Amino acid sequence: MTASRPPEPAFGLQIPVHRTTLANGLRVVVSPDHSAPTICVAVYYHVGMRLEPQGRTGFAHLFEHLMFQGSAGMAKMEIAKLVQENGGNLNGSTRYDFTNYFETLPSHTLDLALWMEADRMRGPVITTAELDNQREVVKNEIRVNVLNRPYGSFPWIDMQERAYTNWHNAHNGYGDMADLDAAGLDDVEAFFRTYYSPANAVLVIVGDCEPDHAVALSRQHFEEIPAGPTPATADLSEPRQTEERRFSRPDALANLSALAVSYHTPPSGSPEYYAMGLLDQLLVQGEDALLYHEIVQSRGYAGEVDGGINFLGHMHNAHTPLLWTVELFHNNDIAADAILEAIDAVIEPLRTTVLPQVSLDRAIVKARAALYGTMSETYYPGAGVADLLAAFELFEGDASHVNEIEGRFAAVTPELVLATAQEYLRRENRTVLAVEPGATQGAQS
Amino acid sequence: MTAARPRPVPGPQAPFRLPPREVTRLGNGMRATFVAAGTVPIAAIRLVIRTGSADVPQGQTWLDRFVHEYLREGTATLDAAQLAEAFASIGGRFSVDADEHTTVLRTDVLAEHAPRAIALLAEIARAPRLPDDEAARLRTDLRRNLDMALVQPQFLTFAKFRSALYGTHPYGRVIPQGEVIDAFDAGQARAFWAAETGAQRAHLLVGGRFDAQRVTTAVHAAFDDWSAGPAPVDVTPTPTRGRRIYVIDRPGAEQSTMYVGLPVIDPTQPDYVGLEVTNMLLGGSFHSRITMNIREDKGYTYSPYSAVSSRPHDAYWVEAADVTTNVTGAALTEILGEMDRLGATPPDVAELAGIQNYAAGSFVLRQATASGILDSLEFLDMHGLDAGYAEAYVDRVRAVTPETVQRIAATYLPSAPVTVVVAGDRAAIEAQLAPFGPIEA
Repeated sequence: MTASRPPEPAFGLQIPVHRTTLANGLRVVVSPDHSAPTICVAVYYHVGMRLEPQGRTGFAHLFEHLMFQGSAGMAKMEIAKLVQENGGNLNGSTRYDFTNYFETLPSHTLDLALWMEADRMRGPVITTAELDNQREVVKNEIRVNVLNRPYGSFPWIDMQERAYTNWHNAHNGYGDMADLDAAGLDDVEAFFRTYYSPANAVLVIVGDCEPDHAVALSRQHFEEIPAGPTPATADLSEPRQTEERRFSRPDALANLSALAVSYHTPPSGSPEYYAMGLLDQLLVQGEDALLYHEIVQSRGYAGEVDGGINFLGHMHNAHTPLLWTVELFHNNDIAADAILEAIDAVIEPLRTTVLPQVSLDRAIVKARAALYGTMSETYYPGAGVADLLAAFELFEGDASHVNEIEGRFAAVTPELVLATAQEYLRRENRTVLAVEPGATQGAQS
Repeated sequence: MTAARPRPVPGPQAPFRLPPREVTRLGNGMRATFVAAGTVPIAAIRLVIRTGSADVPQGQTWLDRFVHEYLREGTATLDAAQLAEAFASIGGRFSVDADEHTTVLRTDVLAEHAPRAIALLAEIARAPRLPDDEAARLRTDLRRNLDMALVQPQFLTFAKFRSALYGTHPYGRVIPQGEVIDAFDAGQARAFWAAETGAQRAHLLVGGRFDAQRVTTAVHAAFDDWSAGPAPVDVTPTPTRGRRIYVIDRPGAEQSTMYVGLPVIDPTQPDYVGLEVTNMLLGGSFHSRITMNIREDKGYTYSPYSAVSSRPHDAYWVEAADVTTNVTGAALTEILGEMDRLGATPPDVAELAGIQNYAAGSFVLRQATASGILDSLEFLDMHGLDAGYAEAYVDRVRAVTPETVQRIAATYLPSAPVTVVVAGDRAAIEAQLAPFGPIEA
């Protein structure tokens, strides 16, 4: 067991990180925090939408739902009942490269929480009826979030389908209804065997616990789960984009135009990636951002400019390929070309001129605050920190790297920002998507 | 496959003490409350002002939103760009959260900059710039927001439910006329802010990590000489209870967006904590009866939920769900059936004990983060409750019996007088809704 505890400045960030690997390959990360009597237990499996089988789009997410439908020691939804009747909240989510399951509870229930996650790591035990039920639930999730919602696929699904060329990255991870219909119990078994082994997972415990005790309990519950084969690696790479791509699509439910512009980011973890994170702060985050000033305040094209890295989270909890996106809603009498011209008027100078240090310093402060913001979870206390720890354990092989993030931002120079803008904010590196509204007015009754 | 170990049984939850709070009262009637929480070096700061959409004059719906947008346009000493930079340079971002009775100027900043953030929020509240030459742009933005809201089924359903319950009372006026927005100007914004804000309506909340001494000094410097301003005004409504069904037509919609609810007691009433427990059991938690029925058993919907929505001396209970179009009637049958089943038969002791633990545990969870603590403080303020309410909450939850739940369900949550609003494909759902009563014009 290794531990790292950086010294504490007045109001510094220092997340205690205790790492252990069990005999079956399960990595365990414990981060004690005694500021409140709560505990968050999270299990992250290193499989997400990108690795689901062709012909089974949406399966990684459907599988996530099935992990609440019963296992050897728990009936359908009993895990939700157990968490609830012990005073906690639970959830799960499916992302590009991982699927997570987590609960936050009063801290005296740690033993039970670990037992629950160990039980379902042994595998879902479900019937066709339960699969059919969750298939309907998932279809209703897609309806409420995408099909029955104006701008429902904008830009997260629309853009990945157009900006990426590799099927793993480009396909719709919510899934085609036909693919969801085709999924059977044999798919469940195969997907579990391939991706849900202990060695392909990280267990994170954050909150009111003693690390030695938490690790000992983790051993008791998880170490006897048989190790499985390591899944084959997939080629998720995207080629360097050399030509701007432009698309538009109609949205019958929308009544106003929308525009999104996405650029491929530098490789995650690289110095350039952190420079890109600062460019994001500089360009779109907050009301001091350059694009906000130009598009909202100076030109009045839109009321807000949104965007960032990673449609399904933030820059610290995902692995490239990723997109940095600018998105906005605008009146129909403003042409997309005019907005693109405004964007270029802001971005092009960053590709030719070295940024003043004072601008970079402010971007770094904002990036730090944004990082701290990801750690604050009101409904699931501790889950934000657990998420960062799991992401760094999965993607960099060491959860304690979370304590290096601020140093990586601080190491970015104006020259690196310039070089990053020159390569990654090229027009040829971007995909433009315009939404053409199909609804003529509000559906007022 | 190895067998799992026996399921552990946790002992009782440890007695929980609220995180200590420090309360300061200024000479002008303003209050400030500080609560240290968490380990992340962020200070959460909220200036809660007792004014909201209910204070907007009739015929000017969304004037409050217009003012909120306007507050971003600077202060007496800082223009919009300078104000935005001032927040950004301390890791913050200014935003406004508001409802019928509160307007919350808020920011989260790096812990060491809490005093500066307090000074900035004070400047916005006391001396907003509200420049004339930005009014046209802000009107355009607000019209755009209105237009976009008018194609969101959840918003339309909410608005219709509100007008059905509250009629012309401010709580019922959710959707403005576009022409009204087009006529908003800086003068109206200034008049509203001057008439509706002041120290005796303000409560500054600071949570998270901060230097208490420096923050106290900053509060006095920023607010001691703020004039008391107007006293808050309550506008208690008399919501309508009674079966009515409204349909908002969305031809071809794959789902029906439903709001099903009725007026209930507010948080100052003795039965209120029991009502909260009853709600969690009925539809207000993942393992609740309605969710287990229409989601986990029947697959009609993805994210159904029920909630008690409250304002001073006013509340309603509502179940909201987006269901597949062809099961609109079936879903409504199940929702109303679960309401009446709970009113007819007490829950068994184990089911209620589980919900009581959930209520007690999630209370602890809410007190674990700065945002959760500040939310709780806002709730107490809203309803004129004191810290004693929070201290007694868990004991009151534990005191609820199965018979209490049945009585509360029968008294406050019968299905007969519910108002039902459905945004969906009228041609496909009209016949499904017919058994529940006539559809209102």
